Formats: sequence, C-alpha cells, structure tokens
Amino acid sequence: MELENFIILFIVIPMGTGVIGVLLKQRVHIARVLGVLSFLATSALAIGLLVHLRSDPAGILVSQMGAWPAPFGISVVFDSLSGLLLAASSLVALACYVHSFSTVDPVAEKRYFHPMVQLLMFGVNLAFLTGDLFNLFVSFEIMLMASYCLLTFGGTRLQMTQAYKYVLLNLVGSTLFVIGAGLVYGMTGTLNFADLALFVSERQARGEALPPGFAALSIALLLVFGLKGAIFPLWFWLPDTYYTCNVSIAGLFAGMLTKVGIYAIARTFPMIFAHGHSDAAKVVMPLLAISAAFTMFLGVLGAVSHHNIRRILAVHVISQVGYMVFGLALMTRVALAGCLFYMIQHMVVKSCLFLCCGIVERHTGTDDLDKSGGLLKRDTYLAVVFFIAAMSLVGLPPLSGFFGKLVIIREGWRESMWWLSIFGLLTGALTLLSMLKIWSYCFWSPSGESIERTPANMPNTSSLRPAYIGATLLVCVALFLGFGAQPVYEIAYRAGEQLAAPEAYIQAVLGPEVIENLARARAESAALATAAVEVTP
Amino acid sequence: MTISSPVLRNSMRLILPLMLLYALYAMLKGHNEPGGGFIGGMIMATAICTYRMSHGFAAQLRLMPVHPRVLIFLGLGLALGTSTVPLLLGEPFLRSAVGVFHLPFSGHAFHYASAMAFDLGVMLVVVGVGVGMITQLSEELE
Amino acid sequence: MTIILSICVAVVFAVSLYLMTGRELKSIAMGVFLLGHAANLSIIAMSRTPVRHEPQLLKGAPILTEGFDPANPMSSIVDPLPQALILTAIVIGFAVMAFLLSLLVLTSRKTGTLSIEELGVVATQDD
Repeated sequence: MELENFIILFIVIPMGTGVIGVLLKQRVHIARVLGVLSFLATSALAIGLLVHLRSDPAGILVSQMGAWPAPFGISVVFDSLSGLLLAASSLVALACYVHSFSTVDPVAEKRYFHPMVQLLMFGVNLAFLTGDLFNLFVSFEIMLMASYCLLTFGGTRLQMTQAYKYVLLNLVGSTLFVIGAGLVYGMTGTLNFADLALFVSERQARGEALPPGFAALSIALLLVFGLKGAIFPLWFWLPDTYYTCNVSIAGLFAGMLTKVGIYAIARTFPMIFAHGHSDAAKVVMPLLAISAAFTMFLGVLGAVSHHNIRRILAVHVISQVGYMVFGLALMTRVALAGCLFYMIQHMVVKSCLFLCCGIVERHTGTDDLDKSGGLLKRDTYLAVVFFIAAMSLVGLPPLSGFFGKLVIIREGWRESMWWLSIFGLLTGALTLLSMLKIWSYCFWSPSGESIERTPANMPNTSSLRPAYIGATLLVCVALFLGFGAQPVYEIAYRAGEQLAAPEAYIQAVLGPEVIENLARARAESAALATAAVEVTP
Repeated sequence: MTISSPVLRNSMRLILPLMLLYALYAMLKGHNEPGGGFIGGMIMATAICTYRMSHGFAAQLRLMPVHPRVLIFLGLGLALGTSTVPLLLGEPFLRSAVGVFHLPFSGHAFHYASAMAFDLGVMLVVVGVGVGMITQLSEELE
Repeated sequence: MTIILSICVAVVFAVSLYLMTGRELKSIAMGVFLLGHAANLSIIAMSRTPVRHEPQLLKGAPILTEGFDPANPMSSIVDPLPQALILTAIVIGFAVMAFLLSLLVLTSRKTGTLSIEELGVVATQDD
C-alpha cells in the first residue's frame, strides 16, 4: 500500500460523513457521533503523517488523481505547510463542533447543520491539499457555499440582512478568481502550482522576462486572496459577519476562513507570483508590507474601540491577520516559517476565545461588556481558560503567540523593515489592552455579581458540558504550541524552506528530470554572465 | 405551479419518455464525446420539472417517488464510493478501470470504464439537486 | 473570433455592473449571475493560446487512444482544460444561483422587502 494515495482521505472522510449526514437529517445523535469521529480521524491522520514526514528526507507526499501524470491531471500534495494547517484546522473543527452541541438551536440542527460543517471542512481540507490553481478555486467555492449556509442558519432577520454583504462580496471575488485562473492558463499554459513555479524559475534562470501582464495578474489574485483573508482594504465584511451567526460557527469561521485566504497567498506568491526578483515581486512586496501595517494597526484600533466581546474578537481577527501578512511581505524562509507558526497558533487561540465567549454569553445572556461582570467568582474555570487563551493571543512569553511574533518581528528588523516591526510591537501592546478590557469588565469587575440568578441566566451545567470540552481541548492545544514550540517550529521552518526554494516541491510533483533541466539552464546562464563580464573590460 | 394547458399536457406524455431516454443517452455518451453526468442529469431534471408543470406535484411524486435528499445521498455515495475503491487496491483516488467486455452470445465488444459509475452518481446528484431546488422554490412561491 | 468574444465579454460585464449598481437585491443578484457568465466567456477567449506541453505524455492515456493521430496531435484534440474550467464554473454558478434565490425568497418573507434602503432600516429593528 502506497502511503501517498492515502492523503486523499482528508477529503474523503469529511465528504463521506457529510453525505451520510444528508440522510441522517432527523437522527441528530448519530450524526453528532459520526461528525466527531470524522474530525478525530482527520486530526489523527494529519498528526501521524506529520510525525512520519519528520524522518523523511523529501518530506512531501504527492498523489496524482486517477494516475494522470502531473501537469495534466489533478495533483494532491501534502507537505509540511499543508500538514500543519490540516492538523490545526481539524483540531479546531473538532473543538468548535463539540462546542456547537450546546449552542446550536435544536430546530436548526435538523436542517442539514451537520453535513454543512463537514462540507465546510471538506472545502478547507481540499484547499490545503490541492496542487493546482483551479482546484483551489473549487475548494474555495465549496467552503464558501457551506459558510453561506452556516451563516444564515436559523434565518433571523439580522442574519438575512447582514449575510448579503458577505455573500455578494465573495461571489464577486470568486468571479475575479475564475478570470484570474483563466488568465494564468492563457499566459502560461498550465495551472499546476509546481508547473507554474517551474515556468517562473525557468524564465528567471534563462534571464527571460515573464509574460507581459504577469504583474497585473498577480495583483488581481492578491485581491481575491486578500478578500478571503480580510487584509487591509478588503476587511470590511468581516466584523458584521462574525457578529450575527451562531457563536460556535463564528469560532470555526474565525479559525478557518481568513486563514485559507492567507494560505493561498503563502502557497502561490513566494513560489510563483512573487518569486525571486521579478517585476511582479517588485509591485507585490511593497503592497503586502503596507497592507500588513494597516491591517495590524487599524484592526487593533477597531478592537480597542468596540464594547462587545464578539465584536472585539472579530475585529481582532483582522489585526492578527496583519502579522501573517507581515511574515509574507518579508518572504524569507524564516519569516514564512514564523507566519505559518503564527497562523496555526492563531487558528487555535482565536477559536478558543470565541468558544469562551459563547459560554460567557450563556452566563450573562449578552456579550455587552457593560452588562456583564463578576464571572471570575461565578466560573473560575472559564476565567482560567479565557485568560490563557487571551494571553496566548497577546503573546506573553511562555505562551504560543510569543514565538510566532518573536520570529516575525525579529526577521522584520533584520530585513530592514524596522517600521513594520514597530507597528507589530505597538499592535501587540494594544492587543494586550483590548484583552485586558474584556478581562476586567467581564471577569474582574464585581458589577455582575449583583445580577440576580434567574433560571434564564443560570444555565444548567449539563447542557454546557460540550462547550467546556471544546474550549478545554483548544486551550490544551494552545498550551502545547507554547511549551512544545520547538518541534512545531521545526516543521514550520521546513515548510518555510520549501516555500522559499520551490525546487523540492517541483521535484516531488513533476519528477527529478525537470529539476536537472532547471539546474542546467541556471548553470548555462551563469556561464554566459561570467563570459560577458570577461568580454566587457 | 401548474399550467393547465391541454397542449402541454398531451405533448408532455410524448416528450417525457423521449427526454428521459435522451438524458440516459447523453450520460452514457459522455465518456468519449460531449455529454456526461452533469448534462444528462440536467436534461432529466428539466424533464421532471416540466412534467410537474403540466401534470402537477402529485404526478411528479408518482414519477419520482423518493425525496430528492435520497437521490443526493445515493449519487454522492456512488461517486465517492467508486472513486475510493482504487485506494484499497493501492491505486490513486479516482483511478478508473477500463477494458473491453465481450457480450456472451453475440460477441459484441463493449468498452467499459468504471468512471461510468461515477458519472451515474453525478447524474443522480444533479437530478436530486435540480428537482429539489425547483420544488422548494415553487413551494415558497405558492 | 477573439475580437467578437472580447466585445461580448465587455458588453456582458457592462450590463452586469449596471445591474449590480441597482437598489433592488433582485437586480444585484442578476448582475452577479451575469458576471459569472462574463468570466466564463473570458476563459473561452483565453483558450486559443497554444498549449505549453505537447501532449506526448497523453499517448498512452486511455481516453485518447481512439481517433488520436500521433503524427499531428494538436489538430486532433481541442485544448480540453478551458472547457473543464468553464463546466466547473457553470456548475458552481448553478449552486450559487440556487442559494442566492432561496436567500432572496427567505429575506422577502422575513422582512417583506428587497430594497436595500428598507433592509437597512429593518436590520436595526429587533426580531
């Protein structure tokens, strides 16, 4: 049995569970058990493969769908980047799914809630695994379709009116993506990531220019991915969206959706659209840097100004995305590794905070900071979980956020982007401020203790048990990412290396011959260059 | 939404079997020529919806006595199943088995591919989705 | 051919952008659907460029063994990839259309309006 072929299970398992879930519309309990098993299986598979790949010199597993050779068929690639993201996303999905058992409306749950969560993860996993641009589009669409449905779940008036912003904006973005994919095919004749990377590397090795319009195309795709990833000028859809839906779903979205957009940038830009010192890179890199600064800083200012827990957390997603874009803007291997590490820790921590917010809402009946308080005494366990997650988000030293930020900010300093690093440090301080705001209003302030404990705001603990399990699971993962940062960072560093020097990826997908050709072309052009230097004097 | 036109009612009796047959033909042809599960499914869904327009919802239920959800389940299950089987045989996902099958008595050669089962699944999904969608939307409008 | 196609793309784009600037959700939805068609047309316009890889590798592939002229491969097959892209995009557009239409129906039932200004007012009221 070939191990490579089994990476497709990341797609097959959620899809199969979703398909069965369509039939189990009324049998909620079986659907729940199956869903949990599916997420457990994908997380175990991802972690197992990651551990296995640590001892593997190549470190990339490739499966060609239908045994069609690489640039023609569909390639599915599992490398360190996809592996880490798959592991983190499966764990986050597991926790949010378990949490949703205590928050989802029982009537709405029978309307295909379980298949939709599975299909969302089907899309997310496919996005992380796929090896070509068009399947990336398809996976985005699957994911978005499921997210539209989950967003309007319950169908309240507020949800209906707010959903249009998200749905229409993403539809326009998707259309732009189709046009972009078509243009890429028109210019290069291929859509496979490895083949595209080879195309760019070959041109650069021979000293030829990229096709005219390649830079414009890069910007168009950056626009598409930036819209999904909510980076600076394109983040306006995010706060309203996460505000209206079910809180477990908001946690899942906060963990997944923006990160898939960032992943798409991380996968395609260092390898293809901004590789080396092409014209496209000269336009894209400053754009990314400016966007990173604005995303970080404006996002956190928005968070400081809000006064609802959910709004603060939602706007915070934007500010944290800024750090990832900061890592991408530097595009060195260390920065990419830091970006990846930050991405997975942010998925875990941010979802955990949303899950805590769900429990807080059940305790106080609202997420308005003025109306809540005194939770430290009422629910000490929740307070501890929230505090650990909040401090991980801020990045206090032994916790996970610290390592990601440290790597990115130090690399920014070294790459003479010191102004971005200063923005990063400032943002960190303001993040601390906004988290302490939630902490002091919601947990520390004694005001809420005077609130009478009526049956309405005194939830029975047994219905909240899944919620606590979900939050606990994520906080454990966050603690592991903090105290066991070394092995995770090693994998992330390997992913950064693979992105910065795409030869390993190209070789894994297209075979060793093309790499030899590439090396020969490089040697020839180097020889030509030295000959030219000898002739000129 | 029923249109009570005798012309439509009577011509539908003639057109419906033809459309269903053509849908199957388009699905089977799709392996080597234009056509395929999606096109076949669309034609079939159109046929069923037109039948509903002429004869009413009760007639549609007689023609397709299952809930669209079941069709979607069967179709997706079939497509997923046929594409997963190669994994157990050590082949990549979606790998299709092809070959020639000789009919026992006449000796006609019959080219087959296991991808056909996948196409059949796609067709079931498309019929389920198409009919289900139109049914839901027209129920809302009524 | 390319010129006709590009004119078509431009016209469809213009119409869809005009529809999307409307104040009714219905017209915005129609604009979005048309935008998808414009994108598909633009892929057709794109597909006339030569294929980068000569389909040498495909010779042994099962689907092309019949009616495939190895001496002149480019004349006997049409570049299938853009067609596959468009078919996929159409299917996705179909699903999106279904979703958006049902969302419109639900919205009008919940709020009694599909005009953007009135929806803005409705959004601030409680359920």
